[in-house]
Amino acid sequence: MTAVDPETRIPDPIELDRAEEARLHAALGIEPPRPAEPEYAGFETVGIPDRPPVTEREAEVYTLEEGEMLVNMGPQHPSTHGVMRLVVKVRSEVVVDLDPVLGYLHRGIEKLCENATYTTVLTYVDPMDYMSAMHNEHAPAIAFEKLYGIRAPKRAEYIRALVVELNRVFSHGLMMGFLALDMGGLTPILYGFINRDETVELLAAISGQRMLFNFFRVGGVNWDVSDEFISRLSTWRANVGRSVSDNEALITENEIFTARTKGMGVLSGDRAIALGVSGPNLRASGVPFDVRKAHPYSIYDELEFEVITHSSGDVYARYLQRVAEIKQSLHLIDQIVDQMPHGPVQAQVPGIIRPKPGRAYGAVESPRGLYSVYAISDGGPNPYRFRMRDPSFITLQVMPVLMPGHLIADTMAIMASLDPIMGGVDK
Amino acid sequence: MAGALVRALTDRFPELAATLWTDEDTVELQIDGSRNVELLRRLRDDPELHFWYLADAAAVDYGTTEHFEVVYHLYSDLHPAWLRVRARVDRAEPHLPSITGLWEGAMFHEREMYDMMGIVFDGNRDLRRIYMSPDYRSFPQRRDFLLPDDAADSSAAGVNPLERPETWDLSRFRDAVTESDEAAAKGKP
Amino acid sequence: MDWDLVLGIGRFVLSTTLLLLLTIPTAFIVIQMELKVIALMQLRYGPNRVGPKGMFQSTIHGFKVLAKEDVTPDMVDRPTFTLAPWMVFMAAAMSMLVIPFAPGLVAVDSSISVVYFFAVLGLSVVGLLVAGWASYNKYSLLGGLRSAAQMVSYEIPLTLSIVGVVVLTGSLSFTEIIEWQRQNGWAVIWQLVGFPIFFIAATAEINRTPFDMVEADSEIVAGFATEYSGMRFGFFFFAEYVSLFIMSAILVTLFFGGWLAPWPFPAQLEGFIGTLWGLFWFFLKTYLFVFVAVWMRATLPRVRVDQLMSLAWKVLLPVALLNLLVTGVAVVAFNLSGVR
Repeated sequence: MTAVDPETRIPDPIELDRAEEARLHAALGIEPPRPAEPEYAGFETVGIPDRPPVTEREAEVYTLEEGEMLVNMGPQHPSTHGVMRLVVKVRSEVVVDLDPVLGYLHRGIEKLCENATYTTVLTYVDPMDYMSAMHNEHAPAIAFEKLYGIRAPKRAEYIRALVVELNRVFSHGLMMGFLALDMGGLTPILYGFINRDETVELLAAISGQRMLFNFFRVGGVNWDVSDEFISRLSTWRANVGRSVSDNEALITENEIFTARTKGMGVLSGDRAIALGVSGPNLRASGVPFDVRKAHPYSIYDELEFEVITHSSGDVYARYLQRVAEIKQSLHLIDQIVDQMPHGPVQAQVPGIIRPKPGRAYGAVESPRGLYSVYAISDGGPNPYRFRMRDPSFITLQVMPVLMPGHLIADTMAIMASLDPIMGGVDK
Repeated sequence: MAGALVRALTDRFPELAATLWTDEDTVELQIDGSRNVELLRRLRDDPELHFWYLADAAAVDYGTTEHFEVVYHLYSDLHPAWLRVRARVDRAEPHLPSITGLWEGAMFHEREMYDMMGIVFDGNRDLRRIYMSPDYRSFPQRRDFLLPDDAADSSAAGVNPLERPETWDLSRFRDAVTESDEAAAKGKP
Repeated sequence: MDWDLVLGIGRFVLSTTLLLLLTIPTAFIVIQMELKVIALMQLRYGPNRVGPKGMFQSTIHGFKVLAKEDVTPDMVDRPTFTLAPWMVFMAAAMSMLVIPFAPGLVAVDSSISVVYFFAVLGLSVVGLLVAGWASYNKYSLLGGLRSAAQMVSYEIPLTLSIVGVVVLTGSLSFTEIIEWQRQNGWAVIWQLVGFPIFFIAATAEINRTPFDMVEADSEIVAGFATEYSGMRFGFFFFAEYVSLFIMSAILVTLFFGGWLAPWPFPAQLEGFIGTLWGLFWFFLKTYLFVFVAVWMRATLPRVRVDQLMSLAWKVLLPVALLNLLVTGVAVVAFNLSGVR
């Protein structure tokens, strides 16, 4: 290698940046941050913040004892849940503690919605929990209708329930695929995507969009469903059971899969309630709490279904719970199509809604749990405060509780069974 | 629909009856912030009320001259209505007892309220930022935090040196900067 | 001038060169099978642009790996870092020397082929350990150690399962084992327990799904090969696919009659036609098992590390020992041919 003359060498851009930063800090009188102290000779520590811990819990996680190590399962994930960072403290292979670091996908949707009209808000909330966009729109629609004091027409409510259950079918179907993928099975996710593709084509036929639907309006839905669509739905309905059971056949009775999921990540019912878990995760731990039955919204009090629970609360139970809920959703779809009345699909509301000042709370059962919206109106065209409570956000608190004692390899399995979607977690 | 619940609440908390509000599916109570743990504990543990599920904990900012509010939504299987508890917090000194002792799952809710509004929960073991980076110095969801196109007036303005043109140093682009550019930078036509 | 010696050396050099050259299309074919077969099982097309029906995709992958930049981290131990991929590949290539492709088509027809084969195969563990250590990265080190532990653990049931065949046939030479199978039927019917043990242990030995925790894992990135790029990385994964072929070939040789046809044909084919006939059956059977391995990759999830190790030590090892015991007793009791 030829020697480079220091006089004529082109400086590395990072050196220029560092020099400039130092100069700025000196000029402005800011003290530069101290670089991290390396722990082992030559090895860099990852995950330890370069400042002392500010809270008790942070000190607990980031203080290493003899034989412990911090492993950073970084924002770029090999799994499909989204960008999330898990700092895992391990002792050889066993996880001792875990700290999730969030905020990589934070878009400030709540603040954004304070400057949007009520109808525009319904388009902004879609990309939160993007796998279940219809539920994201349903909760604000309920809250805004309470604020405005109207009810959607019956046919609109039936269509809403139909698209919401379709959304639930493909969201749970994909979760099966994600769980298998995080364990190394390459095929179930592709079968799940076949199922999703067919379902999403149906939803595109209704709403014009494949993923972020923009279908709900305050007072109803945007478009009606035609009879041709209903016959297309029947064709789909005849095929979907088979495609789901094909996928199930690869996973449910597979020895390797059951050995890796039974008895893993057990969450007891009481702990789940204390942690605020909801949805299939809570029901798989034995607590029969389903918002559709607990506080019925839309037309769920006219449909006949039971709340399914499993008692073991492990990864396998959460998986079985979702498979059972797919079948339940298909049963609900059948009833909805049977009972759908004729009528208008949107109440008469003006273009820009100005509800009277007040507060309203609307909650729905999304595939991940209790999804709710708390909206405050001040009489103007924009909501004064628009708060969304996302179930995946709260469910993530379960990770530091469930993980200690398991191996690193189980982190992916347990997280996939909780089925978080980072768009909802980070809003 | 909420009649039984209203009666039960007015029996147990007569001092709150004045500000109790209800419509067909929600009952609302208003309290001062410091009483939140006591009230929520009684709501949860009373066998006739039995509000065992914390559905939501949100923070609302009523304006720069007004107060904050922390709003809890609770669910009970004995009563079909949602219960909303609005806890009033002083804006100048936004401190509130933490309910993580009652529901472990309130931890992330309180971290988010701290991060976005700046409300400090006493007794919370892990009150640090959750969405914003740990060294962020402002509270985005307050009413006086302006959106990025008004970033120059927000309380987080100027933290980043790139937002302050006087700190820019163009000397390393000396070759590329021509005389007309220099003249334009100095404001001459 | 000892022409025999010269001819012998010449033949050895020629056959070794041909074998080394043969590894390249073998790896390409195996990779292509993996791409296309898994794709068809997942109800999608797979590569279908490069060449007719996408046949040349893996070839282009090979050339692409050659063209990639070789990024070597600063603080690695250079000699061992460079040596590790060669070690892994040479272990695989050297073990190919004793595989009988067809009657008369063996590079080295030794009387201790079995011992030689499994001894040389074990050298690849050294290569993996060296790769993990030389990378100067604690995650690579962990991955390398795990991989070495897995391979070493599964070598024991692997070798024990074939001792049954060796005892049955009374020989350590592959060609003699095939000759025994021509007279007595394929060894798989005699060793019904030994075959599954060998199959499972071989899959684990070459780090294939469902035992590929170390390489396709989500937390330790790419295991021992994290810091490798370009052709060095290519060597590792080239070696893996060549090992898949080699393991299938040995499985076929030991249990399924090597280059023998499934039923005795009326005309005993000799000479050149006989060689071609044997070659055809050998490749057919070997690629059938390669297909099964690829099929397993498409279908099965991964076994967890501790379950993997407990499978080797608590299940496969006792069963292999039992199999050996029963085989030995049966051979002595029934005075089966081959005991000398």
